[in-house]
Amino acid sequence: MSYKPVTKKIVEALENIVGKEYVNDSVPMRYAYVSKGIMGLESTPAEVIVRPKNVEEIQKVLMLANENKTPVTPVAGGLSGGFASPLITPSGILLDLSRMDRILEVDTDARYMVVEPGVRSGTVWAYFRKNYPEWAPPVPDGAPPAATVMGDALERGFSMVTGRYGPQADMILSTEVVVPTGDIIYTGSWALPGAKPFYKWGIGPDIGGLFLGAQGTMGVVTKAAVKIVPHPHYKTVVVYGMDNPYDMQDATLEVSKYEMGIADHCVMVQGGNWPLVMARWPQDKVPTDFEFYKKAGFSEWWMNFEVWAHSQEELDFVTKRINEIMKGYEAKTGHSLPEQKLHPKQIASRLKKPNKIAVPYSLWNAGFLFITWYTPWKDCAEFAEIYNEKMVEHGFPPVMWIASIDHCRQAICMPIVCYDATKPDDVDKVQDLNRETTEIFMEKGWVEYRPDPYVHAPMMYGRAETYHKILKKIRAIWDPNYIMHPGRLAIP
Amino acid sequence: MERLDKMKKQIYRCIHCGACRFAYSGEPDRAGIGEHEGTLYEGIVLGCPAGRSKEWEGFYNSGKMWMARAVLEEDLVPDEAMRDIIFQCTTCGNCAAQCENKIPTVDVIEALRATLVEKGIPLGPKTAGLGKNIKEKNNPYNEPHAERTSWFKGKKTKTAKTAYFVGCTGAYRIKNVAEATERLFRKIGEPLAVLEDEVCCGSPLFRTGQIDEALRVMRQNIETFKQYKTVVFSCAGCYRTFKVDYPKYSGKPLPFKPVHTLEYIADLMKQGKLKITKEFNKKVTWHDPCHLTRHIADDIEKRRLEESKNWFMDTRAIEKEKEAWYELPRYVLSQIPGVKFVEMYRIKENTWCCGAGGGVKTQYPELAIDTVKERIKEAEATGAEAIVTSCPFCFLNLRDGIKETGSKLELYELIELLDSLVS
Repeated sequence: MSYKPVTKKIVEALENIVGKEYVNDSVPMRYAYVSKGIMGLESTPAEVIVRPKNVEEIQKVLMLANENKTPVTPVAGGLSGGFASPLITPSGILLDLSRMDRILEVDTDARYMVVEPGVRSGTVWAYFRKNYPEWAPPVPDGAPPAATVMGDALERGFSMVTGRYGPQADMILSTEVVVPTGDIIYTGSWALPGAKPFYKWGIGPDIGGLFLGAQGTMGVVTKAAVKIVPHPHYKTVVVYGMDNPYDMQDATLEVSKYEMGIADHCVMVQGGNWPLVMARWPQDKVPTDFEFYKKAGFSEWWMNFEVWAHSQEELDFVTKRINEIMKGYEAKTGHSLPEQKLHPKQIASRLKKPNKIAVPYSLWNAGFLFITWYTPWKDCAEFAEIYNEKMVEHGFPPVMWIASIDHCRQAICMPIVCYDATKPDDVDKVQDLNRETTEIFMEKGWVEYRPDPYVHAPMMYGRAETYHKILKKIRAIWDPNYIMHPGRLAIP
Repeated sequence: MERLDKMKKQIYRCIHCGACRFAYSGEPDRAGIGEHEGTLYEGIVLGCPAGRSKEWEGFYNSGKMWMARAVLEEDLVPDEAMRDIIFQCTTCGNCAAQCENKIPTVDVIEALRATLVEKGIPLGPKTAGLGKNIKEKNNPYNEPHAERTSWFKGKKTKTAKTAYFVGCTGAYRIKNVAEATERLFRKIGEPLAVLEDEVCCGSPLFRTGQIDEALRVMRQNIETFKQYKTVVFSCAGCYRTFKVDYPKYSGKPLPFKPVHTLEYIADLMKQGKLKITKEFNKKVTWHDPCHLTRHIADDIEKRRLEESKNWFMDTRAIEKEKEAWYELPRYVLSQIPGVKFVEMYRIKENTWCCGAGGGVKTQYPELAIDTVKERIKEAEATGAEAIVTSCPFCFLNLRDGIKETGSKLELYELIELLDSLVS
């Protein structure tokens, strides 16, 4: 596609739409919005940043951009990643939606909340704590509190109740989407004018899925109805250690397969390996041998079960059953799964949501990247083994974080690649690792969580040609000039 | 540019997570003081004055880190547009306190400012005026140097072991604090030497990138005070500059011990050498000056981490040491009979800046006022009758804010208050 740069005339037109004070094309400000790291390495400064306040303004901005063939990249409220920055030149308009930050509705009977794109996890958490303490918004676990609910949902991320309820995309009941033709598309039951967002599958074939995982390439989601869940106040975390990822995988699966009455209470089931602890500190300021961490009480691998219950009795029952299953696994395999007794402060710290646990991995060197994949749960140990070996081969510490999705139906596998962003060679090494592992994982049929534009998307769509062809055709219906975040997902 | 380049690996740690926008960025469950005038003081709340006021990403710390990265990569050429973003920051350090990747954000912002100066980008006229006045008259207020100690009516003490660094604001603008400090120390039997050769500490210059002139006054002050064992400060900014900046820029430890009056008084109280008996019957809240509390705690952390060989093991002890520093003013207030102490929500490491620092009060007074109004609202939310602080800049800006908002809060400078309670 050929795109046109933002002209002075377009800047003036944008000012007429949203007001002069909400348009900024100063060069330093454009660089302030750039981001490379954590979720993606590619980012180009936008030509102009626009901060609309409502759907009408977004409609007008998109129609103007469509008419002028100007790229538009929407960003929900934060920039935790590189994916929300433009990729190509001319880079066009960055649509910063942080002014749209209202929690519009909470329905505790149909159990959903309606949020705008700029609503942040930390804010919505505090809002529920004060106003609806018996209910919890499914904010991400690990993403910083400044991350937005919308961003997490659209990226098909995970939440703090993901072990019980599935990926965040499963929590979306309806969306409102503005597209470049100026149309507003409603998905789920919202498609029927006047209907509440109570039913995910809409009024016939539902097109909602087209916007989840689209990384801003299919339109601008301006509202989302997101399921909320009960928030019982009896909580704990139990942890079991293992000396290999296969025991972690298989023992956890045994607990999770129970689903009703046991695994249903395990809202968050996540684990990893000891370098996950080590790499939170500068590499020259922390011991790098396992023996040190072993003495501090860590196993080589471990799994946390975060349990929520309505009473102490229920909580005790679930933790007792988990323990029995773990002991049964030990007896059956002869492998040791020691329970790691946590100090109450450690439990309190792990129960704190949302939190910043995934943030400090830049300390190890000077930058890090999550290259996250979905696998069937039963494959996550193999994934970890392959990835860790490849990370070491490429000179990175083998840092692995794995969480259960929907009672271990799937695993979200999150290798954390700690690299030195000040060295271009190190960035190349990251991409070499990425390409090499992607080739292996495509063969295995594993799915990238947030496909990157130069490695995952072309390799994945190269194998799914018909799907790719149809996706492009569908997109062209409401984005005929492909102005939405071009290049991001290879469509085109 | 050299200073910026030295921090390259730290700057590149930024992942744009956005925690630096907030106070209590890692504590969304934190209980608070409820809602007041539309603001909920619970969980995470905005903590960046410039970002709150301007809203664009560049005004938040994360935006500045990415501008710094672009400057280092020579993608971004410093210009006046960049100056107008970088200088509209109080350098309060909330961002540094929130950053899990421990980016020395204030150092980076100050290095960006110095880079702008090095590249010949004209400073805002009032910011430039600070440099001109200090160069010509040794103070930023354009007052005659000969008047610097005119507030001091007592006898010069030739035998004092401890000197008093008064600072320009105490010397020329709120002389009552200088007088109260000198008087209080005399009352407690620790007479202070007041020196005519004292010059501006250089804080306004270090903060605004005017490093050459800052180094001149630094050298002169070190020379002037080197004969004393201890130097006492009533100004938070001067104290921070001596304690943090002088060793950093001179590359040497100070030849004397810098002590803030608060620290000195707290020590005496702990040793039982100072006991307040007169009552002060008011409901009081405390405003943590960034330079006195957060910046010093940050310095404690940086120094300890630098020494540490194992951050995993040492971090908890460092946190305890920082907490002890934050507790000092609270301890002193607790020793005043009659005081009913109430905390604001954003305190200690998460304190909300008064809005005056980093050269903002001078060049961008509207941002300073906008910021202090937020603080006054928060103080009012506690139901306090009085707000106490111990920094001349915070004092002056809080005074302006109280006037602007018509607040009924009474404002006290801690040392002045203590002086009034000690006979």
